[in-house]
Amino acid sequence: MLLSAKIGKAYVVTCAMVSAMIIVVILAFLVANSWQAFSQVGWSLLGWVWNPPKGQFGILPMVYGSFAVTVIALGIALPLGIATAVFTSEMLSATMRIYVKSFLELLAGIPSIVYGLMGVAFLSVFVQDVFDLQSGRTILTGGILLSVMVLPTVITLCDDAMHHIPMTYREAARGLGLYKYEVVKDVVLPAAKMDILGAVLLALGRVLGETMAVMLVIGSIDRMPVPFWNVLVPGQTLTSKLGREMAEAAFGSLHFEAMIAMGLILLFFVLVLTVVSLTYFYNPEGRLYE
Amino acid sequence: MKVWVWVFLCGVWVLGCTKREAVTVGGSTTILPIVSKVADQFRMQHSDVRIIVNAGGSGVGIKQVGEGKIDMGMASRALTELEMETYKDAHLQVHVLARDAVVPVVSSEVYDAGVTVLTLVQIGQIYTGEIDNWKILGGPDREILVIDKEKSRGTRHMFMAQVLGDKEADAPGADLVLGSNNEEQTAIVQSDAAIGLLSHAWLNEGVKGLAIRGNGDVIEPTHQNIINGSFPITRDLLVVTRGEPVGVVKAFVDYLLSAEGQRIVEASGYVAVR
Repeated sequence: MLLSAKIGKAYVVTCAMVSAMIIVVILAFLVANSWQAFSQVGWSLLGWVWNPPKGQFGILPMVYGSFAVTVIALGIALPLGIATAVFTSEMLSATMRIYVKSFLELLAGIPSIVYGLMGVAFLSVFVQDVFDLQSGRTILTGGILLSVMVLPTVITLCDDAMHHIPMTYREAARGLGLYKYEVVKDVVLPAAKMDILGAVLLALGRVLGETMAVMLVIGSIDRMPVPFWNVLVPGQTLTSKLGREMAEAAFGSLHFEAMIAMGLILLFFVLVLTVVSLTYFYNPEGRLYE
Repeated sequence: MKVWVWVFLCGVWVLGCTKREAVTVGGSTTILPIVSKVADQFRMQHSDVRIIVNAGGSGVGIKQVGEGKIDMGMASRALTELEMETYKDAHLQVHVLARDAVVPVVSSEVYDAGVTVLTLVQIGQIYTGEIDNWKILGGPDREILVIDKEKSRGTRHMFMAQVLGDKEADAPGADLVLGSNNEEQTAIVQSDAAIGLLSHAWLNEGVKGLAIRGNGDVIEPTHQNIINGSFPITRDLLVVTRGEPVGVVKAFVDYLLSAEGQRIVEASGYVAVR
């Protein structure tokens, strides 16, 4: 083998190993630093009261908050994003598509703190007025803000997913006498299913992991709404809790370990959701058009 | 040839980064305005020193200086026993920089509707949830939006110690939990029925400070009442260093306590100590 090819191969393999190592190191760090929390607090982690000075570390209000904002954010962003992607991929001319897409992708580059500040200044005031609330810092506000933040991701990935489907598919379908909407509904969307799922998972990861913006608009109170579907009250997500309290917990204290445990649980959620949806949607024959 | 230019530039860059001495400061957002203004003045006289000031709250300031991540912590409260125990190896030393009051504040709408004086007991009842409507206190018929702060914040420690008798008391009546003075101020301005707690220097047209009634006297949150100590929730504003400060850190602490530094304390709305 040529020397340059050898070097190239070694370089690629090293890079892959480094990437894999980073993930392993993070996992090991999380486990090592939350061990005390799991062994000492144990099942009490699944409680409703969080009060570190009294040794109470119940994370359920935060788990609920993360779950609620995820449902709201994806509930808004997926229909909106997939429909927009159908528009850019199937209805726009090639030149227009690039312009519209680049413009939408700009939204993905805005720092989350900017979204957060806009959320505090405008969105929370809007929610407060529309629902005639005491305060506009609610779980719903957090969910809406997150839906806006993941929209560019959903649109651009779904658009790519549909655009990669060969033209011959559409031509064949049209040749069979299908209307244009039938082509999209019965040919393009099913064929792009796997890649759209990938987009959804990426969006889900971002929603669960986003900290700064959601922290500013959600109200940050560790309380479960009553009744539980009332999202017009302040709440807390796992990430907003971490954002607010991580810096003040002494390294190595039980408080600190309980916070790391929340990070681990968050990671675990994303992992489980990814594995479950991949096994459910996985098609052993691969993509039809490959 | 080209490569050597890049190597040279990178070298210059690295050297440029490490050349100047730096003092890192972090913590209380109550003290932040003072220290950043004093730092600006200090830099003019010592162009070779960089001063980096960050926020985070008193708890964060004490923790970071205790762990040695920064040179100086800003704290608007005394250290707790737990903090002294945790960071005893750091030999933390406090320097009193200024005096300030923690003032219970309300939205201007509530203030203008007649709620201008409360007792500490009434404020306590609001935070425990026993009083949940301004009507009970002679205000408009609106539910009270009770704004609390993060547990380690200095402003909250002082406030809760006076109002509920325990600096880390729970506030079951709270609706929102916020962090910095800035965030608190914004939320109160945005609401028409909010109560919260702020440093005296942060009051403005949209955020009105309540007077406190005690033993028949009504004590307004004025500069004078903080100086003579009659306002019930006053506190020292501190900077915390690891042991006796030396070098540039010492120079900066001395400058904070100098006549020039104390003039800036007064100009920022706080009470000078020297």
